[in-house]
Amino acid sequence: MLKALNRIWLITSRELSTFARRPIFIIIMFVAPLGFLTFFTTMMGAGLPTKLPAALVDEDDTHVTRQLTRILGSMEETNFVLQTTSFTQARQAMQRGEIYAIFRIPKGTTEAALTQRQPVISFYTNDIYYIPASLLMKDMRKMGEMVGLAITRETMRARGFRDDQIMGTLQPIVIESHPLGNPHLNYSVVLSNLLVPGLLMIVIMLTTSYSIGMEWKRGSQKKLYEMSGNNVWVAVLGKLLPQTVLYTIIFWLIDLVFYSYLQFPCACGIPRMMLWGFVAVLASQGFGLLMFEVFPSQMRMAMSACSLFGVLQLSLAGFSFPVSAMDEPFQWLSNVFPLHHYFLIYVNQALNGYPISYIWTSVVALIAIFLLPQLFYYRLTDAFLHKEYIP
Amino acid sequence: MIKPHFPILHVWLDELSDIVKDEGILLFIILLPLAYPLLYAMIYSTETQRELPICVVDDCMSARSRDFIRRVDATAEVQIAAHCTSMDEAQELMRRRDVYAIMRVPAEFDKELWRGNQTVVGLYSDLTSMLYYKVAYLGIVNVAQELNRSIKVREHQENITRREEELARWPVRFEEVKLYNSAGGFCAFLIPPVLMLILQQALCLGVGMSMGRSRERFRGLVIPPTRHYKNAIAIVLGRGLVHFLVFLLMAIYMSVCVTRWFGLPQLAHFWDLIGFFVPYLLACTFMAIFYSGFVYRREDCILLFVFMSIPLLFLTGVSWPGASIPPFWKAVGMFFPSTWGANAYVRISGMGASLGDCHREMMAIWIIAGVYFLLSCLMYMFEIRKAVGRTILS
Repeated sequence: MLKALNRIWLITSRELSTFARRPIFIIIMFVAPLGFLTFFTTMMGAGLPTKLPAALVDEDDTHVTRQLTRILGSMEETNFVLQTTSFTQARQAMQRGEIYAIFRIPKGTTEAALTQRQPVISFYTNDIYYIPASLLMKDMRKMGEMVGLAITRETMRARGFRDDQIMGTLQPIVIESHPLGNPHLNYSVVLSNLLVPGLLMIVIMLTTSYSIGMEWKRGSQKKLYEMSGNNVWVAVLGKLLPQTVLYTIIFWLIDLVFYSYLQFPCACGIPRMMLWGFVAVLASQGFGLLMFEVFPSQMRMAMSACSLFGVLQLSLAGFSFPVSAMDEPFQWLSNVFPLHHYFLIYVNQALNGYPISYIWTSVVALIAIFLLPQLFYYRLTDAFLHKEYIP
Repeated sequence: MIKPHFPILHVWLDELSDIVKDEGILLFIILLPLAYPLLYAMIYSTETQRELPICVVDDCMSARSRDFIRRVDATAEVQIAAHCTSMDEAQELMRRRDVYAIMRVPAEFDKELWRGNQTVVGLYSDLTSMLYYKVAYLGIVNVAQELNRSIKVREHQENITRREEELARWPVRFEEVKLYNSAGGFCAFLIPPVLMLILQQALCLGVGMSMGRSRERFRGLVIPPTRHYKNAIAIVLGRGLVHFLVFLLMAIYMSVCVTRWFGLPQLAHFWDLIGFFVPYLLACTFMAIFYSGFVYRREDCILLFVFMSIPLLFLTGVSWPGASIPPFWKAVGMFFPSTWGANAYVRISGMGASLGDCHREMMAIWIIAGVYFLLSCLMYMFEIRKAVGRTILS
């Protein structure tokens, strides 16, 4: 037992000296994850995008429409950067990508409204830009509804209704929405929280297969096997242990920045999320190792597989486009990837603060992904003994 | 023997034969651009969430509340998956992820409406995905607004003509037009910029791999020590041309075939597309050649280029609104062809803009192509000098 520990230590220190000699390890292990952290948190620092550029085409240009314009200008999401009387001009600005939406008040709106002839107001959003378009659409719908109600309110006041009666008439049913866990609808909470760990998990997968494959590339795999006392367990443990420690520390650092510095919602407490971060690190290492066992001694194939699957898992995890909306085969496929399970655990624990028992399947899945490569160690042994580097 | 007078041709043939023999490079320059667009388009092909399962806590149990719930159930956005008697029961369903939102109809719902007062319906939605919230909110608000109009007309403004009723319902008519992506779906919004990124990243991976391979084969040099590799411009053009031509085919495959198979918007003329892809791919190729100068081992380029794709997608300003990108990151984005390319492509293909409408982007792409071309030439001149020095030494 002591002997094995000693061997692990020897391999670990050999591994650490490799890291120190190769700048690429430093770049990938420290600079990249911390770079992603800075990138995404500053990129989405505003949380929910506000004051999005839009155009107002006021073909009518009366005091009534100007009043309407002022109300519109006070809305949270809308910033009228272009006010014009020509629709063509607004459309061209949209095609140049300067604005995301056009609010159009056609000629004769005021006249039609005053004479009760039901004017038509239109708004156009450019849904090629999905997030700004949905946000602007929400604002404009609200505005649209309010304009209609304002006109009815005037009519009802004229008929002698009291204001509270009017509200009960105009908007009898009010929907009060409670977005649970993220009440300000902060996009950074949704995206940074998963993109940064997601990219870190790809880093882990790749460096796992990279550092193991390196042995074959340098032709030192037999030496490593000897150092481990002909024990695959010892060899793998010694090689991956320093990475486990390093990545866990980075993951915890990310957790601290998110939940302590940026105050992202964390209903389960930071230590709990650190535990899940550690499990996610293990699962990603397991995934990387598994890929190497699929392509033994072909580090480049293993790394290609890791990167292709790794990028795919960002889409299949379901935090931007929900898994429940995907077609059946993809719903099934998403379960293969560690990020999807980490995501479900994160939502259950940090966002909603539910007991972990509701999501035990994902915890088991992460542990299973970590343990799975152990079943195929015979392939590694075989590679250590009989396989040479295949470019 | 015929002496090859065209070093470009020579380099081109060398690079081509190298690539064809290397399955690792083929994986990235053939399989990846062929398969990834299909995969992504299939993942997002459902466009949006429909029939989101939600549950209802109906504390009122009146004919009117049941009518309201039935109307909500009938929307395309949500379906009532369960009726619960208490909030506790509903929350339990939420925790088990059987439903993604709870709608609570208060006990006084019916009474308040008869009294002519306001009543508040609660919507508690899970934020596992922002889309869940959006869909549940939209579905229920639409029903509530429709009901509000009926209540307004039937119960408070009786004895009026049909036209007056219509006017009371809709004093002002609204037209909502979703331009260029009428379904308001994910596929049409996310796939076009992703296609541009796939092109750029796959190019970087392919060129980087072939560069790393040269370095491994020629002991740290990026060029073989033969006399055809003396002219930096010829080397850059010869090597670049191979990748450029392969990816021009891929670009046509993506913008014509994939787009058509998945019904994505394609308003561009074929020649406009070509006119866009030529400078875009040139810029990507030269950028790839320049950055691969920093790749010393074949595998390193996977480590360097793969992660860049997600931040670059954000920098394009198509997925995350460009207007909300901090100026520093906007400036960083300007150095990558994908930032300009994705914006120009979505406009040309999705919004029917002509090349002239995107002259700012096209200009930027040409400038980037030129700058990276010069940089790659400088890099190769440096490498040639290194190679010459080494042959003299040995």
